[in-house]
Amino acid sequence: MGPLEGLGYGFSIALLPSNLFACFVGVLVGTIVGVLPGIGPVGAMALLLPSTFAMQPATALIMLAGIYYGAMYGGSTTSILVNVPGEAGSVVTLLDGYQMTKKGRAGAALTISAVGSFVAGTVGVVGIMLAAGWLADVAIRFGPPEYFAITLGGILLLSRLSGGSILNAFVMVALGLALGTVGMDSISALRRFTFGSVQLAQGIELVPVIMGVYGVAEVLLLAEEGIAKAQIASVKLRELLPTPEEWRRSTMPIARGSVLGFLTGLVPGPAAVLSTFISYTVEKKVSKTPEKFGTGMIEGVAGPEAANNGATAGAMVPLLSLGIPFSPATAILLGALVVHGLEPGPLMISQRPEVFWGFVASMYIGNLMLLILNLPLVGVFVTVLRLPQHVLATLVLLLCLVGAFSLSNSFLDLWVLVIFGVLGYALRKLRVDPSPMVVALVLGPMMEKTLRQALFLTRGSVVDLVARPLSATILILAAAALLGPPLVRLLRRGRVPQPLPR
Amino acid sequence: MLARAVPLVLLVAAGAYLILSLQLPFGAAARPGAGFYPVIVAVFALVVALGATTSAFRSAPGAAAAAVDLDAAARRRVVISVAALVAFCLALPWVGYPAAAFAFVTIVLRYLGARWTTALLTGALSSAASYGLFAVLLDVPLPRGPW
Repeated sequence: MGPLEGLGYGFSIALLPSNLFACFVGVLVGTIVGVLPGIGPVGAMALLLPSTFAMQPATALIMLAGIYYGAMYGGSTTSILVNVPGEAGSVVTLLDGYQMTKKGRAGAALTISAVGSFVAGTVGVVGIMLAAGWLADVAIRFGPPEYFAITLGGILLLSRLSGGSILNAFVMVALGLALGTVGMDSISALRRFTFGSVQLAQGIELVPVIMGVYGVAEVLLLAEEGIAKAQIASVKLRELLPTPEEWRRSTMPIARGSVLGFLTGLVPGPAAVLSTFISYTVEKKVSKTPEKFGTGMIEGVAGPEAANNGATAGAMVPLLSLGIPFSPATAILLGALVVHGLEPGPLMISQRPEVFWGFVASMYIGNLMLLILNLPLVGVFVTVLRLPQHVLATLVLLLCLVGAFSLSNSFLDLWVLVIFGVLGYALRKLRVDPSPMVVALVLGPMMEKTLRQALFLTRGSVVDLVARPLSATILILAAAALLGPPLVRLLRRGRVPQPLPR
Repeated sequence: MLARAVPLVLLVAAGAYLILSLQLPFGAAARPGAGFYPVIVAVFALVVALGATTSAFRSAPGAAAAAVDLDAAARRRVVISVAALVAFCLALPWVGYPAAAFAFVTIVLRYLGARWTTALLTGALSSAASYGLFAVLLDVPLPRGPW
């Protein structure tokens, strides 16, 4: 099926009433959690995952992905109006977005960021159509050594990019990999690290871990503040229209942000957040007035807001064509597909076209819905911010508890939720990003399986394992990304004389 | 303290994990057993945990503590919330979901600063609504308790 034919087929799936409804619910929930500081898309996706078990796989994917990209729209609203990021992908937006609000241009900032998000979302969907098909064709030839190289390389790159110290990121990776070995060994059926518990033989479930790290931990941070009321700037509908000058200045940043965002999304790492920083830096570099950034430059809103939406689309490519998630959000999407017995990977596009193309088409529809939800109705979502935070926080905790239990009616999942909630809170206090742990928990079992299969194939030769052209290329690229920056720094330090200590 | 305690706990955990991994059948490179990969992971974990612990003990204690420090009221709110979560998990099998959820929401809300009436009302409503949604509509076998 060619891209156009596939897309036509996809629309026939996405326009089914059940899928349209799922898409609407997804983007609506996404916008709300995006607007609300403290509750991010990943936690919300984990919370709603159990409710998708009864759905068709395409419908489940459409709804959960809607939350993910919907949050990128909602997040900017809070950044611009309240000077608090609604979610991590909108941190950069507040630099210039809130300054625009102070100058009375909040409406323009909101419109530009919604339109930028829409353009990037649409560009991203075209990107998925082209890239995922191509990558799937290549990936059909991959064997266990290549998959091992991709998972290992992905984890290494993720540790490099997750921000903070690489040592901390590696500690998180080690923790995630170790947790991934708990339970029944998939090859020898031996029970590992279960201490006689029948429930632990199933392994540590991803969803309560994510609910804990991204749900409970965030609420505990909110709990620190107790009752807090946000100061919200009000926006009148007629102020929403940007001036022709503002439109003109935003065009190129949106275009650049869309492409940059999509490309960042393809790389393992916290793509949505990273892409906004990259886009902001690029806009500042190409600007004739870089010193004015941070004082309410529309370019500083347009670029990053486009970039984070492009990145959410880009992140779908490795998931859909290789079956490998490189972020906590795509790990949940993988979980949703696996529950339905689907194996995302190079064959999914041809074997289950209704899932792939239905999903791609739904992203077009979802982005259109989001444009409508986030422009004329922006005022409605802002009222969400007036809800008392402490009530909301408590109810989210209760939802996490009952949601974790309902996954498999197990008390173990409840304890996993609480333990990882406390761990996630401690990590945030120490400024350590937990996402390498979450991704390693998902990729670990994949890595073990492919490593053991590959060693079996090469009769135990590690050289044969890493010397195959594709796996060697992937591993060299990952090693270059990992060791490159510190090496460059080291070389520079050798050349440039060190300033004398004062 | 947190900045030093966390890597230290992880270091001990990595050591224990290595000991347990070594007890699993290792196999050979051409036929890796169930313990093959865990041993590799354990060695990696031990090395990075050792690195993190060393760097945590080398850096000035004040710098890390400043980021973690909370005033007494904020700390109490976090501790109460965590205690309520643990109490909920412990109590759920004995008192059932409706009672545990009611008590959980009421206590947490009250300690986060809500008035008693708000806390009690929200507790009752949220407990009833979530029980109705999950246990009645979605057939989740939430424990009902002795009543």
